[in-house]
Amino acid sequence: MAYSDKVIDHYENPRNVGSMPKDDVNVGTGLVGAPECGDVMKLQVKVNPLTGIIDDAKFKTFGCGSAIASSSLATEWLKGKTVDEALAIKNTDIVAELSLPPVKIHCSVLAEDAIKAAIGDYKKKQAAEGKTAEKVAQPTA
Amino acid sequence: MTSSVPTLQVCRDCGGGAPVDVHFCPQCEKILSLSRHGDYFAFMGLPHRLNIEAAELERRFRALSRQFHPDFFYNATTAERRASLERSSYLNDAYRTLRDPVTRLQYILQIEGLAPQGPAEASRQAPPALLEEVFALNEELDEVRDARTAGAADDVWRGRLDRARQPIETKRVAHEAQLQELSARWDTLADRPAADAERRAVLQALGERFLERNYINNLLAGIERELTQ
Repeated sequence: MAYSDKVIDHYENPRNVGSMPKDDVNVGTGLVGAPECGDVMKLQVKVNPLTGIIDDAKFKTFGCGSAIASSSLATEWLKGKTVDEALAIKNTDIVAELSLPPVKIHCSVLAEDAIKAAIGDYKKKQAAEGKTAEKVAQPTA
Repeated sequence: MTSSVPTLQVCRDCGGGAPVDVHFCPQCEKILSLSRHGDYFAFMGLPHRLNIEAAELERRFRALSRQFHPDFFYNATTAERRASLERSSYLNDAYRTLRDPVTRLQYILQIEGLAPQGPAEASRQAPPALLEEVFALNEELDEVRDARTAGAADDVWRGRLDRARQPIETKRVAHEAQLQELSARWDTLADRPAADAERRAVLQALGERFLERNYINNLLAGIERELTQ
């Protein structure tokens, strides 16, 4: 099985590798794994609180070339999207873009799961932040 | 897979009925085409056990291989020749799957509906704490590689690798012991009805252990590779 040129490009020149502070209330972190192969993938988004748009996305993946390429591509796509647009990214889009063979489809599923987990974490933090903000606001009101 | 539906296959030659786990028609003795059949265990006449003696499995494999061998059907009808090929090939798949304890466990989980069977189900997750630990150790491994490339002293990077290995090695040993204990328990429960609470709990626990296995093994293999290079 040969990797497509796009997979090789993302594998050799991964975009947006790195991490952002987990505790930042505007950062959502998703950590997922593929039990079949033991790959682990961390994907983070940073949402601009004023615009609601994803300003930055980072990933770090320990796994095969397809898993790295899938998450690298995902971070490219995430930038500039709103949270809801990000949730609309489907693993099949990744499969199509990278021409992943059937045995590597689970890598794209992993990337989609990582996006969902990161956005979920961001939303959870925002909800918690909203509550504490209210609590702080009340005594002064 | 326990089913209350009477499972029968029909002999295409004489039209007689036969249980799913027999290979030759009880009436006309012709080899049965592989239409309706049991799982790999039933096919080889074995109960759904996780502890199977390798010699016993091989003995059954060889005996059935001889019975199905296409050479013996050289002069038979087209249907029988095809049946012999189908049964031989299914037998090979069954033997290959059941011979290895890991694929055997995976197969049990699969026929019990607990293993991912396709990409859509592949997203079953191991416990978050394990993922965190594996991720952190992978990062440490990366850093050790960088330090080594940058010319760190042998005992320095080796010491770091050893420290990284200890917790995961401890985990592997505990994991292995749990798997063995659960497997032994499963073997005493396998024949109970699928809805039995204890049987389901053990199956569930086996499924969870199975999800963790590749993370632990990959990580250890990565550390091992680094140490021997």
